[in-house]
Amino acid sequence: MSSVSQLWAYRSLILNLTQRELKARYKKSILGWLWSLINPASVLAIYSFVFGVVFDAKPPVAGNGHTTVYAMYLFAGLWVWNYFNGTVMGAITALQTSGPLLNKVYFPPACPAVANTATVLLQALIESAILLVVMIGLGNVGIELVLFPLLIICISFFSLGVGLALSVYNVFYRDVNYLVTIGMNVLFYATPIIYPISLVEAKSTVAARIIQLNPIAQFVAWSRDIFWSLTWPGPWSLIAVPLVSIGVFVLGLILFNRKSRDIAQEL
Amino acid sequence: MIAIDVQDVSKKFRLYTDKAGSIKELFTKFGRPKYEDFWAVRDVSMEIEEGTVHGLIGHNGCGKSSLLRMMAGIHIPTSGRVITTGRISALLELGAGFHPELTGRENVYLNASILGLSRAQTDQLFDRIVDFSGLAPFIDSPVKHYSSGMFVRLGFAVAVHVEPQILLIDEVIAVGDEEFQRQCLNHLRTLKAQGTTIVMVTHAMGIVQSMCDTATWMDHGRVMVDGDPLSVVGAYLHGVNDREAERELAEAQSQEGNRRSAPQGPDILQLDNLVQQGPDGRPVSFAVSGEPLDLRVDWTTVGRFPHPHLVLHIETPSGLHLATSHAPERSQELLEEGSWSSICRFDSLPLAPGEYRIRMTATDYRTSVIHHVGDYQPLVVRPGDQVVEGVFALDVSWTAGAPFEARD
Repeated sequence: MSSVSQLWAYRSLILNLTQRELKARYKKSILGWLWSLINPASVLAIYSFVFGVVFDAKPPVAGNGHTTVYAMYLFAGLWVWNYFNGTVMGAITALQTSGPLLNKVYFPPACPAVANTATVLLQALIESAILLVVMIGLGNVGIELVLFPLLIICISFFSLGVGLALSVYNVFYRDVNYLVTIGMNVLFYATPIIYPISLVEAKSTVAARIIQLNPIAQFVAWSRDIFWSLTWPGPWSLIAVPLVSIGVFVLGLILFNRKSRDIAQEL
Repeated sequence: MIAIDVQDVSKKFRLYTDKAGSIKELFTKFGRPKYEDFWAVRDVSMEIEEGTVHGLIGHNGCGKSSLLRMMAGIHIPTSGRVITTGRISALLELGAGFHPELTGRENVYLNASILGLSRAQTDQLFDRIVDFSGLAPFIDSPVKHYSSGMFVRLGFAVAVHVEPQILLIDEVIAVGDEEFQRQCLNHLRTLKAQGTTIVMVTHAMGIVQSMCDTATWMDHGRVMVDGDPLSVVGAYLHGVNDREAERELAEAQSQEGNRRSAPQGPDILQLDNLVQQGPDGRPVSFAVSGEPLDLRVDWTTVGRFPHPHLVLHIETPSGLHLATSHAPERSQELLEEGSWSSICRFDSLPLAPGEYRIRMTATDYRTSVIHHVGDYQPLVVRPGDQVVEGVFALDVSWTAGAPFEARD
């Protein structure tokens, strides 16, 4: 708990690190901030073409009863993944690149990872806002949107917890970075983002159950509930997802604090 | 009240012989260790009173910076404890955390927050910080366009304005131009007057003697001497001087013999050698402020040389003439052909620490004809127990303050 209050005491630093990241990121580029939209848009376009057009994937019908645009169904899951992936990979890089600074000044070593989460959060909010605008245009919005803040909070805590734990081990064993890159690839396809979970259920209900235990699959499912099918997540999911998210965050923070006690000399 | 209490602190670092740092190590860990233990700080205890200035001195790698980092909380002691009371600001590197792409203004806010200040607090201090740095015209340009001096000024300006209760400084005052250094030192005095506890690592003995209330000399991670700065600096300098004298002497002995050359050319008087030596007659490679110094000049005359007169010139390395000393005429006699040796003796060298150049000339004192001009030779003066400010120590006496009596 003391580490959380310490992070709070350094909120001004976290804010400034975030601003530094945001201000410096697209300096000297002509398109500037547009790049943060072009990148996910290109990924979306590629997946939409390959899976939506070539493989002719058919998403379940949306909540308004007629929309079946695969790209939007994909986007409702992809932004969740982008946020998770950006937070975890960013946390690993953030701690590693803060080495010189941590050797000069004392501040809680979790600050750079938290600041990174904030920058990725901004990106996620922009992406989900675009998603929302399109959904309004398609006439596919419902009261379930009130769950959106809770979803964002849950993904933030969960991803930050995972990112913190991995980042501190990466300082001792640089292999972690490479392993995580591969792991992320596997996890992406193990999560029903480009395909609906119903496809797996049709083949094996056991496999579908296992996939649904994956917290990111739950986040994606929530997002699809909120933005696509306009339904409420199941009661178990509503209870388990926030609990697991907070649990993972606390666990990650404990691991981080234990291993980062004298981290400056290792960086 | 004790602001910093260092209790029996030791710090061990691992010196990796082969820094693999991979998962392979997990499996090979049971073999022989791939690192050696290195004790940077060993069994150090000290108490630093609130509102005092403490100097840490010692040669490079003696553990003073490691100790400072432990006070700052950057490193955790391997054993022992460091207890500090009050907010700490550590100046281990100026402008740490500056982002080259951001403007000076943005970096001031960023740097201040790294040192623990909120945005509102920085707002209040901002104008004073910019004034202090003297960079107002450039504050909205990216700092990558700054010169290294400007970079340092801005970094220092931020660091000293965060109003810490404890300020830890690692050799950062030595940067910047003379004017800025003086400005920094003045500001540190102001902070001290306001009750800030300051610990500084420095190689500038003058600063230790003039600013610090207490000092510690560290060597190989251990405390050698601590106490009042004058005696600590004295002990340290004696240690350094002894060590260097030993080394220089060994070098000098190996080169002995190939310096002297026979007089040649039309000169009838030849200055062969100018040797700086201690009172014991041993050659030294540097002099010490306030300590005795002998300058021995060996010279040779060919034929009869009626009125030789030796003159010592002392100049700055850039050629500014500082002083001249003429050998008394009485000492000169009509000389036979041969080799001679004269000594110019300083009982207490009045020069401030620094580098000078000296040379001897030989003239005829009646005609002032110059017979020989010796080569310039560097004279290196190290600080001694006695502080000499300016260039020379003045040999004066003062009366005690007497009541002022108005005269008619």
